[in-house]
Amino acid sequence: MSRRDFLLASGATTVTIMVTVNSGGVEAKVPAQLATYPRKKIAKLSQLKQDQPVEFTYPDEGAFAESMLVKLGTEAGGGIGPQKDVVSFNFFCTHQGGDLSGTYKADTKSLGACPLHLSTYDLTRHGILISGQAYQSLPQVLLELEGDDIYAVGVFGLIFGRYDNLQE
Amino acid sequence: MSTPYYIPETNVPLPPKGADVITTACDYCIVACGYKVYRWPVAGHHDGGPKADENAFGVDFPVETLGPWVAPNQHNIVLHEQEPHHVVIIPDKETQHVNTDGDSSLRGGCIAQKCYNPQTPTRDRLKSPMMRIYGILQPVPWDFALDIAAEVANYVRDKHGDNAYGVKTYSYQFIENTYAISKYALRHINTANFTFHDTPSDVSSTPGFRDAGFDNFGPAYEDWMNAETLMICGTDPYETKTILWTQWIMKGIQNGQKCIMMNPRRTAGVAYAEKNGGLWLDIDLGTDLLVVNAIARIIVENGWQDAEWIKNWVNNKWGSSSGFGQGTRNTPWQWRTTWGKFQTKGFDDWKKWLLSQDEFKPENAAKVAGIDIKKIQTAAEWMAKPVKGKRPKTSIMIEKGFYWSNNTGNTQAISALAIAVGAGGRPGQVVGRAGGHQRGGQRGGKYPRNKSPMKVPGRRRRALDTDTWTMSGHTRMAHVIGTTWIQSMCGSQQLAERFEQLTVANPHQIRSYDKQDIIDTLKKRADSGGMVVINQDIYLVDPIGNRYADIIFPAATWGEETFMRANGERRLRVYNKFYDAPGEAKPDWWIIAELAKRMGFDGFDWKNSNDVAEESARFSRGSRKDFNMIKVAAKREGKTLHQKLGEFGTNGIQGPVFMKEDGTLEGTKRLHDTTRKLWEDGPKGGNVYNKKLTHFNSQTGRCNIQKSPWSLFSDYWNWMKPKGNELWCTSGRTNERWQSGFDDRRRPYIVQRWPDNYVEIHPDDAKERGIENGDMLMVYSDRVPSLKETILGIEGSDYSFAGQMKAGNVELTRAAVTGVAMVTRHIKKGIIFMDFLHTSQPANALEGRIVDWISGNYNYKMGVAKVKKIGESPYKKTFRSMSFAPRDII
Repeated sequence: MSRRDFLLASGATTVTIMVTVNSGGVEAKVPAQLATYPRKKIAKLSQLKQDQPVEFTYPDEGAFAESMLVKLGTEAGGGIGPQKDVVSFNFFCTHQGGDLSGTYKADTKSLGACPLHLSTYDLTRHGILISGQAYQSLPQVLLELEGDDIYAVGVFGLIFGRYDNLQE
Repeated sequence: MSTPYYIPETNVPLPPKGADVITTACDYCIVACGYKVYRWPVAGHHDGGPKADENAFGVDFPVETLGPWVAPNQHNIVLHEQEPHHVVIIPDKETQHVNTDGDSSLRGGCIAQKCYNPQTPTRDRLKSPMMRIYGILQPVPWDFALDIAAEVANYVRDKHGDNAYGVKTYSYQFIENTYAISKYALRHINTANFTFHDTPSDVSSTPGFRDAGFDNFGPAYEDWMNAETLMICGTDPYETKTILWTQWIMKGIQNGQKCIMMNPRRTAGVAYAEKNGGLWLDIDLGTDLLVVNAIARIIVENGWQDAEWIKNWVNNKWGSSSGFGQGTRNTPWQWRTTWGKFQTKGFDDWKKWLLSQDEFKPENAAKVAGIDIKKIQTAAEWMAKPVKGKRPKTSIMIEKGFYWSNNTGNTQAISALAIAVGAGGRPGQVVGRAGGHQRGGQRGGKYPRNKSPMKVPGRRRRALDTDTWTMSGHTRMAHVIGTTWIQSMCGSQQLAERFEQLTVANPHQIRSYDKQDIIDTLKKRADSGGMVVINQDIYLVDPIGNRYADIIFPAATWGEETFMRANGERRLRVYNKFYDAPGEAKPDWWIIAELAKRMGFDGFDWKNSNDVAEESARFSRGSRKDFNMIKVAAKREGKTLHQKLGEFGTNGIQGPVFMKEDGTLEGTKRLHDTTRKLWEDGPKGGNVYNKKLTHFNSQTGRCNIQKSPWSLFSDYWNWMKPKGNELWCTSGRTNERWQSGFDDRRRPYIVQRWPDNYVEIHPDDAKERGIENGDMLMVYSDRVPSLKETILGIEGSDYSFAGQMKAGNVELTRAAVTGVAMVTRHIKKGIIFMDFLHTSQPANALEGRIVDWISGNYNYKMGVAKVKKIGESPYKKTFRSMSFAPRDII
């Protein structure tokens, strides 16, 4: 099963459109299947411990999909839960793709410094750059809460390395 | 509540295989990373694809770490030859110099957002000449505006003298432009009322370097990496010249380099250095000279100075006095200095003086500077103490935090320290500026210093202080090019008030559509003691453009014209045109030429920017950017100068450039390179050797070691020191924001990060004043000192700050600037810091309009202020803008 088919089969809604695709000069009418973000269960709210990130991959298993979820203990932009303090971000620096895993800092609620060029990100403010060279804020994984279940439902911002979040 | 937010796209178009690939370099900081512009038409929707054979990069997407990823901010749509084109601008992944690894900062990284695209915030680019008619700036044709400007300009010069026509211009926005502007202002108009964006007078920014014989930009970037000990004063290169840090200095540190950072703030670079074996010299404002000389004192007390180097490379009294046939009074530094205050008879004489100054004893210096005395000791050891019989290779880098206060004293002191440790003339043992803007200046005329009335006894005539001159009402026509002027200079609010009086509050305002009426009105304005203002820029700047200017000339900029410029290691590149300028905007050289022709000046018949570049080439001979031989090579090969230099792509070539016997070109890695072997029988053909290739820039070619008395500055420092609940108040650059924010405030990603000016304050100081993160603060002072009308004095000592106070020539003014509180651990207690050039919240308003009485530069970085909470900013309790996390997370 191709990755695209997998995404479509796993519960994402699709829309099929007929478009003309120019590819290498050969005109072809190909159905374009626009996939949207999958709805993926990643953790249980009650099991989260403050300042202890949980790792997962999203929106697929492809390159640069590694992400983290953390309960900050302080209200944050995009935060879910009764304290609005549970947030989630992609792990790859939006400068040159350095790996931020293991860089979470509880005192400043930040990710970074990136081992490559020292960028740091504020997880209370939608992954905004604190100090550094990233070309955009760290991609934020959008969350929804259903009872005790936390779902990842989308990503704000282009993930490093990709030209489209859903084309891995 | 909605604060500025930026929600980036989640996809980006890729350039197709076959897209145009145009090389250029960044328009921002001194480093000038190399970039590639990928351009393809919007029509046809032939975007690239993720497979290697489908896109212009030739790689599969997703790319790897450090690969040619394209962020949404790196894409834009522009008009090229009137047709919409996509552009993707990313660092050149193949470049071999400067931004190796294809690295970039976020400033240049997002430079695609600079391009004019009316569907984005750049829509307000100036597109038409304008005149203030009936109080409103209205579009008019070029001829109309130029004719009027030219006639009024000639009238003002004839009636009120050349010095009544002032030119205040950038010093760096491409060689072709600065050549044209200075040719016009200095060779033809010949006005002493001329200066650059960062100083009130056309003087050297580093008088101590110049007196010692050091060029500002001698080092190669690899020298900063290869130094074993590197002392950096007054800047965190990570914040302001990022790639110089991440690709060069950081690699040095990783290789064991000991990095000493003299800076009151611990931003990312400082924190990184500290964590990796370096030292943070967290001095109080204005005390640099004391600490530098204390370090020097420890070195000479222990006999750690580089005796061999000193023996060969330091002038004795005959050397430093020598004028080589012109007499002893003709060396610039003697003309500038007060006899006996700076000159020494050589190293031993300097050492004797140093050891006799109590204030340089480490315990005294440490106390005044507010640092741990052990740090002074450590710095001295790292810089000079031999390890296993071998002396460390030490280099020294300075920038504006260091020399933009006590300009003369600090640069004298650091030069002497450099000489003592043997820095300045060998690989890895260099001294220089890190740089701010790129090096895009080429003089087209000589500054007429003899026309400046500013003469102080015992010293050479000084370049005219254009701020004081204008405040005194002597500027009757001001031509302002590419600078805010008011907010970049000290005492901004006082300057603004005066500008208003002289321009829009003057009774003679244009209230006619008739050209002759308009000309007559502006002439009357000048005659009545008012001022006519021409503002030439890419955006309408507040207030000089939108509130005070009578005539606006719209300029074309980076990417809209092909230009040349060099970076901080003298690397010359071509900055190619790749899209259409907005509306009728024209490059500055063209505007100047049109104005000059109408004023009756000859020599302005250039057809394109290459013509200007080629004319300017011979004036670069012998300078650090000497590119004349590139032009010679071009002509031999039937090419233009731009074409020939363009062959070097983003690698460029370092000036001075020489032509070898086989006709190929060779650059210069570093200046003052005592290890370099030049051609034995001298320069051949059109090549020109300047002494500073292998020696220093003094009469003898050896360095002058100078004294740096604290007493020449201590009166100002002691008067300024915080009293009561005042705090030291300084300002500087912010990594994410370039200069006045003319591009960044039109870049949603950056506006989100820094929507307003901010005030960094230590937690203890904040607590005392009931201040929390996100509060809105008033930063104010009742005692911003300012020189009144002109310089007053008879004896030399009258010109010191104390002397001017005594003569009644200093008035105390008030200033107030608001900002958002950032309570942070990364700034030293007792000091607050703001971004130096937010046009609406100008930190310089709080800095005294008092120039260094020897050099003529402002003391920008040393003010005081009171701080109080006046409310809460919208950023305190919302999450989409700003961050209050500290900048030292490593």
